[in-house]
Amino acid sequence: MSSTRKKLTFGLTSILAASLVLGACGNNKASDDSAASGNGDKGETVELSWYTIGTPQKDVDKVMEEVSKYTKEKIGATVKMTMIDWGDYNQKMQVLTASGASMDMMFTASWAFDYVQNARKGAFAPIDELLDQYGKGIKETLDPAFLEGSKVDGKNYGVPANKELPAQEVWRFNKNILDENNLSFEGVRTLESLEPLLKTVKENNPDVIPFQVDKNFMPYLPYDYLIEKFPLAVKLDDTEYKVVNVFETPEMKQALATMHKYYKAGFVPTEAATLESSSDVQATGLWFADKATTQPFADNVWSTSYGYPIISTPQSDALVYNLSVMGSMQAISANSKHKEKAMEFLNLLNTDPVLRNMVDSGIEGTHYKKVDDTHMENLPESKNYDMPTFSLGNVMLTYLNPGDPDNKWEEFKSYNDAGQPAILLGFNFDPSKVSTEIAAVQNAKEAFWAPLMTGTVDPESYVPKAIEKLQAAGLDKIMAEAQSQLDAWKAANNK
Amino acid sequence: MASLAKSRDFHRLSPVWNVTFNLIAGLFSLACVFPFLFVMILSFTDEKTLARNGYSLFPEKWSLAAYEYIFKAGDQLLRSYGVTIFVTVVGTALSLIFISLFAYAISRRSFKYRTYFAFFAFFTMLFNGGLVPTYIVTTKMLGLQNSIWALILPLTVNAFYIMIMRTFFSTMIPDAIIESGKIDGAGEFGIFFRLVVPLALPGLATIALFSTLGYWNDWFNALLYIEDPSIVPLQSMLMRIENSMQFILQNTNNPSLGMGVLQSMPQDTSRMAMVVLATGPIVLAYPFFQRYFIQGLTVGAVKE
Amino acid sequence: MKALGRHLKDINRNKAMLLMVLPASLWFICFSYLPMLGTIISFKEYRFSGSFLSSIINSKWVGFDNFKFLFRTDDAYIITRNTILYNAVFIFIGLVLAVAMAIVLSEIANKRLAKWYQTGMFMPYFLSWVIVGYFVYSFLSYDRGMINKIAVALGADPTQWYSEPKYWPLIIVLVFLWKSLGYNSVIYLAAIMGIDKSLYEAAMIDGANKWQQIRNITLPMLTPLMTILTLLAIGRIFYADFGLFYQVTRDSGTLYSVTNVIDTYVYRGLKTTGEIGMSTAAGLYQSFVGFVLVITSNSIVRRFNKDNALF
Repeated sequence: MSSTRKKLTFGLTSILAASLVLGACGNNKASDDSAASGNGDKGETVELSWYTIGTPQKDVDKVMEEVSKYTKEKIGATVKMTMIDWGDYNQKMQVLTASGASMDMMFTASWAFDYVQNARKGAFAPIDELLDQYGKGIKETLDPAFLEGSKVDGKNYGVPANKELPAQEVWRFNKNILDENNLSFEGVRTLESLEPLLKTVKENNPDVIPFQVDKNFMPYLPYDYLIEKFPLAVKLDDTEYKVVNVFETPEMKQALATMHKYYKAGFVPTEAATLESSSDVQATGLWFADKATTQPFADNVWSTSYGYPIISTPQSDALVYNLSVMGSMQAISANSKHKEKAMEFLNLLNTDPVLRNMVDSGIEGTHYKKVDDTHMENLPESKNYDMPTFSLGNVMLTYLNPGDPDNKWEEFKSYNDAGQPAILLGFNFDPSKVSTEIAAVQNAKEAFWAPLMTGTVDPESYVPKAIEKLQAAGLDKIMAEAQSQLDAWKAANNK
Repeated sequence: MASLAKSRDFHRLSPVWNVTFNLIAGLFSLACVFPFLFVMILSFTDEKTLARNGYSLFPEKWSLAAYEYIFKAGDQLLRSYGVTIFVTVVGTALSLIFISLFAYAISRRSFKYRTYFAFFAFFTMLFNGGLVPTYIVTTKMLGLQNSIWALILPLTVNAFYIMIMRTFFSTMIPDAIIESGKIDGAGEFGIFFRLVVPLALPGLATIALFSTLGYWNDWFNALLYIEDPSIVPLQSMLMRIENSMQFILQNTNNPSLGMGVLQSMPQDTSRMAMVVLATGPIVLAYPFFQRYFIQGLTVGAVKE
Repeated sequence: MKALGRHLKDINRNKAMLLMVLPASLWFICFSYLPMLGTIISFKEYRFSGSFLSSIINSKWVGFDNFKFLFRTDDAYIITRNTILYNAVFIFIGLVLAVAMAIVLSEIANKRLAKWYQTGMFMPYFLSWVIVGYFVYSFLSYDRGMINKIAVALGADPTQWYSEPKYWPLIIVLVFLWKSLGYNSVIYLAAIMGIDKSLYEAAMIDGANKWQQIRNITLPMLTPLMTILTLLAIGRIFYADFGLFYQVTRDSGTLYSVTNVIDTYVYRGLKTTGEIGMSTAAGLYQSFVGFVLVITSNSIVRRFNKDNALF
């Protein structure tokens, strides 16, 4: 027994010793790193640290080395990119920002590390002057609506990526089933107009879900929401700019009644209100119609990724909302010591095809090869550098893939030009004065939102209860606050 | 061992009760293992089949695609195994030392400040400063950003384990043993390591087990402190896949994201495969700890 | 001066013990007490400006405003009730079953089998709540779930489990026990193994049967541990396991009356505003109530048996 114990003690001691030595090494390495970056500062070139969203790729450092060579020559700065995975991005950036970590550039959007919220809290540097001085290229390439729509309290805090600008809701159809039943979507636009199609499919294809709906579903209404999935909105054509509770509008009442009718008729999945996503049915193709947001050539993208043909028809006009403008942005950290260089870099990223494609596709000859001036082809190594294109600046500079139509970016441009501004474009509600009420309303609202939207419950009895609950939680106070902010904004912008 | 088992014979249960007990434990344990078997089957199920038929014990079509997806990362997986094992072994060793010393001291009636220190430890179980302040202490004060120690130190001590260990010490270590040690002229540390530790082995094994599991399952510290892919632990790889799937699913209605990531979305089966890969080794290591629970150590055996 | 001298003497007398508590105490200071200063932001409207410290200093004091959202509506009653009731049930049934299971495992004659059982019981610990949620769904799904399939085969109507609040208290308790029982019984099993075997031998000689041994030796020997673990659990009675109440219930709105707890409420409420001050405030509130409860119950325990108390 005692010899075992001696061995154990010895073992433990050696582990301890080993770990201490290793720890010391680790620390040394850390101090080396900081020394190195210190040197970098002295020698004119600065290193920009860049946080982006997406699954970390193996070859990021390798590519950034190439990128740095290029940017060093162009603007005298090198780049260190850190990728944070989709699901971790919000939390990690929250901690990094709150702790005052030094970063230079970071990805932000309406759906990841919330742009408006964090701009207000002071996470980002205002970039209006920087744009004028170092970001002229950005201003020239971007549709003015991008910068206009992403203003927070009158200032810009991020550079939106040049991509599809308006948002347009469409009905998507599984073309195989549409053809099989000799159906046509001619004349389909409203929720109600879908009914005959859904009915036919329900009768002829018992295995197929006629109308695929999950818990994220919301019927399209001609309203512009103040906060995403929050019941306050302004009607698109309301020149008075009156904030209303959407549950009190006739449009919502009708849509919910129709949804409930569809639910009872069995058009909608029974468990729609708790269905997290539609990915299962999309994989099997056992669905007929659903709602989605489109962009040019969206049908092609959907068809390729699902593996069966999809076609779509609009259910709304193409409008530019705050949300569509803030789909993908790059901001400069308020703590950055190199704000000017960061803006120079962003300017280059959004205007220089060489840099943009390097960041997007990696090193030419290693990760991709060029076919002609505008086309490229991925090489096998691209699996080590597979980036989400839309999150890294101007997408219209990127080379086309083999299957892409030649006029892809022209189509995007004309789609963007055709988009009309939605009523609240440029207005962002500041919730800080009513955050207590918002927390309470969120909780009240979540309890019935998905059941109502998916048609699972009867709006006749549920909507009055819902309205009552919302008011008890303080919706009226939020509404009054929103109205006064909106009135002030309207006056200031001569609307 | 044979003689040991025999010596226990005289207080065995009657056969009827023995069978009943076996049934209770057996059935419950089956209920616990079942989902795990399920996970394994799912990880070998064809993705389309899974989407169409839902979870099934006998999938129509089997597939290795999930593992291929994960092994695409190549040596990353091996590295992560290495990181996790290192962190778990070193962390558990450190934990045992820190925790048992502290717990032993506050279990001793002769220690004048025992109540203060007990409270000092207990208080940390209830109140904490939250994420950001902890992050700042770890990265700015201790400089552990991107260091493997950021995976070890934040989990080393745990007031819950200290309280359990203290109870073990105070109920299982007869005062007489400590007194006898004193009479032999041993110092406090001598008494602790030579007399107390062998008697407290079941308790120490419990803490070691919990601590091992804690380290093995930890992913959050990696999320906070580790950006260097060469020191990402296994569980963090798993949780990344899980969190990102969740995030993307919740945001599929967002046009920018929805279009952008349609292809790169990890699949349900790869998540299951990752669970199998991340849990397998630790399940196999479990019997090592069990030695101390089931067979037990009689006081007599130690005294020899 | 004299008092100081006495103190120094005390310290000197206890120096070996003080040396023993030193490493962990340093750890507590670094990783627990220093960060605790950050709870100050629960009284601030936290805004970023430079480093964390300067952000704190420059943020506006708001008094108790950050706590208000917890008490704004009737939900305050529901979430408090749910959190406390579930935890009370978890503590009580969890304790009884964990001790029972530990005794069962320790008494099984075939030690090899017992080992297998114990390993099996540990498996759920390795599954995250997300995955557990998928399993529960594979049982309870309306059209593909096993339970409904069986019900339909037997001629009954399928149930929409995720919109029937009445079943959920039971489901949640069962899932919780399933996931935690193996882990918790290990502690008691280890304690049973640590009991001096000569006690049982003496009882045998006195003619005590197995049940009498369990009642008169095993249970009393386990009492200190049961007390401590219960006290510690009481301290966390205002905390709920987020995954259990969010992932396992698929965040179904219809079930909120029986599944909304403080942690899920905070999560849903702060999704839009992301106020760090408010989430810190919620945590402080949970801790504080737990603290008061533990101090109270600890002093009750002290009155009966000083040795079983926490401090």
